Amino acid sequence: MDVSQYLEIFIDESNEHLQSLSDQLMILEKEPENSDTINEIFRAAHSLKGMAGTMGYKRMQNLTHDMENVFSEVRNGNMKVNSELVDVLFQCLDALETYVSNIQESQDEGTDDNEPIIKALNAFIASENQGTPAPQAEKPAEQATSVAAASTDAPSDEEPEYNNIVLADFEKHAVNEALSKNMHAYMIKVTVDENCILKAARAFLVFKNLEGHGDVIKSQPSVQDIEDEKFDFDFSIVVVTDEDYDTVIGHIKSVSEIKDATGKELTVPYKVETPVEELKKEETKVEKTNTAAPAKAKENKATASKGKTPAKSSKPVGHTVRVDIEKLDVLMNLVSELIIAKNGLVSASASEEGENNTLNQSFNEQIEYLERVTTNLHESVMKVRMMPIESVVSKFPRMIRDLTKKLNKKMELYMSGEDTELDRTVIDEIGDPLMHLLRNSADHGLESAEVRRERGKSEVGSIFLDAYQDGNNVVIEVRDDGNGIDVEKVKNKAIEKGTITEEQAEMMSDKEIVDLLFKPSFSTADKVTDVSGRGVGLDVVKSKIEALGGDVEVKTKYGEGSTFIIRLPLTLAIIQALMVKLGDEKYAISLGSIQTIEDIPVTDIKYVHAKEVIHLRGNVIPLIRLRDVLDVPGEAKEQDTITVVIVSKGDKQAGLVVDSLIGQMEIVIKSLGKYININKMISGATILGDGSVALIIDANTLV
Amino acid sequence: MEEVKKIESEESSTSIQYIVVRIGNEQYGINIQYIDNIVRSQRITRVPKTQVYYKGVINLRGEIIPVMSIREKLGLEPDEFTDKTRIIIVKVENATIGVIVDQVREVVTLDEENTEKITKTTNDDAAAGYISGIGKNKGELISLLDIVSVIVEN
Repeated sequence: MDVSQYLEIFIDESNEHLQSLSDQLMILEKEPENSDTINEIFRAAHSLKGMAGTMGYKRMQNLTHDMENVFSEVRNGNMKVNSELVDVLFQCLDALETYVSNIQESQDEGTDDNEPIIKALNAFIASENQGTPAPQAEKPAEQATSVAAASTDAPSDEEPEYNNIVLADFEKHAVNEALSKNMHAYMIKVTVDENCILKAARAFLVFKNLEGHGDVIKSQPSVQDIEDEKFDFDFSIVVVTDEDYDTVIGHIKSVSEIKDATGKELTVPYKVETPVEELKKEETKVEKTNTAAPAKAKENKATASKGKTPAKSSKPVGHTVRVDIEKLDVLMNLVSELIIAKNGLVSASASEEGENNTLNQSFNEQIEYLERVTTNLHESVMKVRMMPIESVVSKFPRMIRDLTKKLNKKMELYMSGEDTELDRTVIDEIGDPLMHLLRNSADHGLESAEVRRERGKSEVGSIFLDAYQDGNNVVIEVRDDGNGIDVEKVKNKAIEKGTITEEQAEMMSDKEIVDLLFKPSFSTADKVTDVSGRGVGLDVVKSKIEALGGDVEVKTKYGEGSTFIIRLPLTLAIIQALMVKLGDEKYAISLGSIQTIEDIPVTDIKYVHAKEVIHLRGNVIPLIRLRDVLDVPGEAKEQDTITVVIVSKGDKQAGLVVDSLIGQMEIVIKSLGKYININKMISGATILGDGSVALIIDANTLV
Repeated sequence: MEEVKKIESEESSTSIQYIVVRIGNEQYGINIQYIDNIVRSQRITRVPKTQVYYKGVINLRGEIIPVMSIREKLGLEPDEFTDKTRIIIVKVENATIGVIVDQVREVVTLDEENTEKITKTTNDDAAAGYISGIGKNKGELISLLDIVSVIVEN
């Protein structure tokens, strides 16, 4: 069978299952008894196995098969989940991930059988069976019943008195689940008085009486048949309840004209086959009940559906289409061109102004309309490209767990804002920098348990990952309650490494010294560990984030912890910008970083350390003469007032002095291409309505 | 069609087409396979704090393209813009760059007989490093420009 066309789906789905397995395992480690989680894991492992088998990936199938065995034991309560087991299971996931990435690269799963992991898994099953004799003793019995049930699938010889009641797999499963929760399951035969005229009504009352005391998960004949009086004088039911046998029988007998009710308790769990079949059967069953439903009384429907869908959580599934990112890029480019064309119309109309007023007015109205449409179109396309940051951060809890073991430090990761959305291109790139920062927090940030105790902190260190939207930016904070950055230590290290001289060190503020950490090859870890301390880290983080048009800053307090704040632009391609003029040149400044625009009398300019500053509403704001920074040819005209664009980054501000303002405009960001060296204060270029090019100033780098 | 292709492939194996341009007082040949387009000189937007020989960027049908002054790269006098000035759009290793030349003359086909390879010497002359050979055409000498090394920094 040619399965290559399914390969993409296989890879996508495998990754989804692996992620789900990883998430659930994390939960399971904390709540070893959580049966929902165990079931979820079992389902994911089983689907993986099935998919790998279909695609012909034998090694992957074998590994998942052994994994599934372990989960099956856990699910049946024969095995306890402990941290060693979870370790091995995580190793399994890593191995499976390797298979999947091999497949992605070469369509081949590779040749690693992962024997050690399989052995470890089997060892767990073996040791559990030996170590706890009780479940082992139970096992033969269980197998016996299961064999009996499986071989005939209709134990009519054994239980003739229960109207040949046959449980489907999902019903057996419901029984098993009830038993595992210490509930009782009874198989009861109810006999109606021979003189009874309204048999169906009596039977209905029996169901009704049991409602609220337990669930009737099965009846023979079916509820529908009983309702239609298609039974003689007796019928059988299987009830799951937490009340004892006599009480249940009492409930039944309290209905008049019920001659007798006898039954037995089901104590041995049924052996259930694969859950996929179970689900399938369940689905068809539910479908059947649904088709029969209209004829049914409301009450019965409730009972039936209650019984027939045992504890199955159904997640709402959105309607989605997988689209190649390249197609979206094409769409995005077309939107960009549309906006440029629109800007062309705007400038054309502006130049013709005053020539013909009435014509001009309707022309302007149309342009405004076009402007609205293009803006909305742009927003919609942008939204399509947005992805929740969850897809990146979901792997971090696992990483922190591994680090806990590796570093022998207790720590806990708290995440918030996983649904914050970012452009797809940013999502693809942001994973590594975040991982770096988290590792950094875990390794350098958090102190050892002893130190933490001395400092009166909880022994378990906390790392926080918070994402949220702030205006046109998305902010991601990585925070820890650890040691904070030791400014003195950084200073000494910097002097020792020759990064700065002692005189320079004297002059530097704490903040400037902390910023040294972002210089290439600078690591203050006393010992190089597997996790960090190799001096490649923060500088890589910084350059990566800057490449995405963002920036990163640190706040730290020695002894209390540090926070790394990453700011990323929400959109990459099209922004609202303020156009300014410097001499004959036009520049764009992203509106996102602009706070206000001020006209300042020249006389208000003050000097601090020979640098120009202004006082504005209680703040001292340094002035930056863009003409000088950008080497604009010619001299500025002497004026009584200067135009200052106040920009901010975090809580820092700066005033950019410009010659004049042109106005607000929606601009398409274009790259300047390779080989030409671009100063980092230029974040790109854009094409104006008249076809000329204007450079975009990244105000963040100037603040 | 078949025939045309055949001729083309035959030609390319033995001879190369060059666009002959004038830069300063000299004639240079640029291998046509790297040339995407030739446009009239247009307004160049200056880019601050970049290499001196990059004069800025232009808009070429919606794409932004850096423009290089080959005169300054070769250590010659700064450009004089006339109505003969052209910008040659060159595509090299996935990058598109505009190169300012004083005049575009003609397209010539030079076979191996008419080209002379020059081994890279330790000549101090900035231009020498970018010349891959000398071509002879109708009695005139053409310096063959190694446009890739002009653009790609080492």
